[in-house]
Amino acid sequence: MKGSLKVFALTLLILLAASQYSFCEQKVNVVATTSDLADLARNIGGDKVNVVSLSKGNQDLHTIEPRPSMVINIKNADMLIVVGMDLDMWAKSLADAARNSKVMIGSRGYVDASANIVKLDVPAKVDASMGDIHIYGNPHYWISPANGRIIVKEICDKLIELQPENAGYFKKNYDDYVSKLDQSIKKWKEMLKPFSGTKIITYHESWPYFAEEFDLKIDGFIEPKPGISPSPSHVLSLEEKIKSDGVKLILVEPFYDIREAEKIAKDTGIKNVVVASSVGGLSGTGTYLEMLDYDISKIADALKN
Amino acid sequence: MLQLMILPFLACLVLTGIHAYLGMHIIKREVIFVDLALAQIAALGAVVAFLFGIELHTMNAYIFSMVFTFFGATIFALTRLKKKEVPQEAIIGIVYAVTAAASILVLSKAPMESEHLKDMLVGNILFVKESHILKMLVLYSIIGIFHYIYRKNFFAVSDGRDKAVKQKINVRWWDFLFYASLGVVVTSSVEIAGVLLVFSYLIVPAVCAIMITDNLKARLFIGWAIGTVTSLIGLYLSATYDFPTGAAIVCAFGMVLILIWPTTILFKKITVYGN
Repeated sequence: MKGSLKVFALTLLILLAASQYSFCEQKVNVVATTSDLADLARNIGGDKVNVVSLSKGNQDLHTIEPRPSMVINIKNADMLIVVGMDLDMWAKSLADAARNSKVMIGSRGYVDASANIVKLDVPAKVDASMGDIHIYGNPHYWISPANGRIIVKEICDKLIELQPENAGYFKKNYDDYVSKLDQSIKKWKEMLKPFSGTKIITYHESWPYFAEEFDLKIDGFIEPKPGISPSPSHVLSLEEKIKSDGVKLILVEPFYDIREAEKIAKDTGIKNVVVASSVGGLSGTGTYLEMLDYDISKIADALKN
Repeated sequence: MLQLMILPFLACLVLTGIHAYLGMHIIKREVIFVDLALAQIAALGAVVAFLFGIELHTMNAYIFSMVFTFFGATIFALTRLKKKEVPQEAIIGIVYAVTAAASILVLSKAPMESEHLKDMLVGNILFVKESHILKMLVLYSIIGIFHYIYRKNFFAVSDGRDKAVKQKINVRWWDFLFYASLGVVVTSSVEIAGVLLVFSYLIVPAVCAIMITDNLKARLFIGWAIGTVTSLIGLYLSATYDFPTGAAIVCAFGMVLILIWPTTILFKKITVYGN
C-alpha cells in the first residue's frame, strides 16, 4: 500500500514537472498588424514564438478588410505589435472584438512599435480645425532601417518581459540581427551616397523617414492629400515643380495608382520606380532586409542612368 | 469562433426585423436605390459638419447628418410627380451621384482623411458591440411601432398616389415621413453594417417574399425567415472559410435568391396545373 502511494506521488510529481516544463516551453503567440513587424518579431523570437501578420505587404495599410480569423488570432495572442500613430486603427476594433485582456491597449502584451521612434511631421499645434489628422506625426517610420533597429529593441524587451527564462536567447537573436542590419545600413548608405541631396517625388507621404536617413529630399507628393486623387492643377504645378527644382525620381508603392506616376514621369522625362513599403509588397521583398535591399537597389539603379 | 459570431448574428436579426419590412415599401414604390442615396446624404452631412469644426461620431455631427437626411427626404417626397415621365429612380440616382461627388469636394478642402468618410459608409458587422445593437433595437422599435400604428397611411401611400389621394391622405406629408424614417434607419444601419449589406437586407428578403406570396402578412413573415436563415448561412461561410463577414452575407443573399426563384416558378406551375 505504502509502495503504491509512493509510486502515485512520484507519478504526480513527474506529471507536475512535465506540465511545468511544457508550460515553460510554450511558445509566445505574437500577432503583428503588418508583415514588417511580423518579420522583425520572427527574427528576434526565433523558434520560441509563433508569429502571425494581419496584413500582406501589397495591401494599403489604411484600408484592411477584417476577417474572422484576424479576431481569432488576436484572441489567442500573448503579444500584439502595432505600428501605432493612428495608422493601423483597425487593429483596435479587432482587439475590441477579440476581448483578449492580455493584448488590450496599455496591457502587458501590447506593443506600440512607435513608442521610441523620433517622429517626423508632428504638427506644432493641434486645434479643432485640424480634426484628428496625423496628430502623432507621420506613421511610416518603419521604412527607415535605423528605425528598424529601434523596433527590434522594443520587440526584444517585450519578449524578455513575457518569457524571462529565454532572455539570453532573445538577446542573442537581437544582437545578431542588429549587427546584420548595421552591416546592411553601411552598404546601403554607400550605394546611395553618390545621390545625396537628390530631389524626389513620392505618391503618398510614406517616405520621409527613409529620405531623411539616406539624405534624399522629398519635393512633393502626387496625392495632394492622403486618399484624394490629384486635381489637374495639382498635376500641372507638380510637373512644373519637377522641372524647375530638378527632381530626378518618383517613388510609388504597388497599391497606388501607378499610371498616375507613369504619366507624370513621362511628361517630365524623369524616372518612376515602383518600390515596396512593406515586406512582401513586391516579389523579392520577403523579409525586411530583402525589402530595403530591393528598394535601395532600384533607386540607385534609376538614379545611375 | 461561435462566441465571436453571436453579436454579429444578433445585429443581423435586428437588421432583418426592420429592413425586411421597409423593403416591402421600397419595392412597391420602385425606389430601389433610395437607401444608398439617403446614406450618402447623411455622410455628406457629417462631412459638412466637420467643416464647421464639429468632430465626427459626436451628437452634433449626428444632428447634422439627420438634418441633411430630412432634407433628402423632403426632396424625395416632392419629386414624386404625377406624370411618370421622369421616374423617381432617376432623381434618386442623381442625388446619390451628386452628394457622393460633393463629399469628395468637401473632403478635398477639409483637413480630414478620406478614410473617415469610408468609416461612415463601410461599417463592419464583425465589430458590432452590444451598445450598438441595443441602440439599433430601441430606435428601430420606435420606428416600427410608429409604422405599425399608421400602417394604413404608409401602405396606402406606397401602393400608389391616386389611391392615397382618394382616401384623402396627405401624400407629400406621408411620403416625407416614410423617407425620413427610412433615412434614420439606414444611416444607423450603414454605420454598423456597410452599404452593401444594408441594401441586401432591404431588398432581397422583400423580393423573395413577393415572389412567394401575395399576402402582406405572410410576406413579412417570409421576409423575416429568409433574412434570418440567410444571415446564418453568411455568418457560417464567413466563419468557416474566413471570408469578410459582410460580403459573405451579401453573397449568401444572392445564393438564396437564385435558389428561391426557380422554386417559386416551379411551384406556381404545379399549382396552375393542379387547378
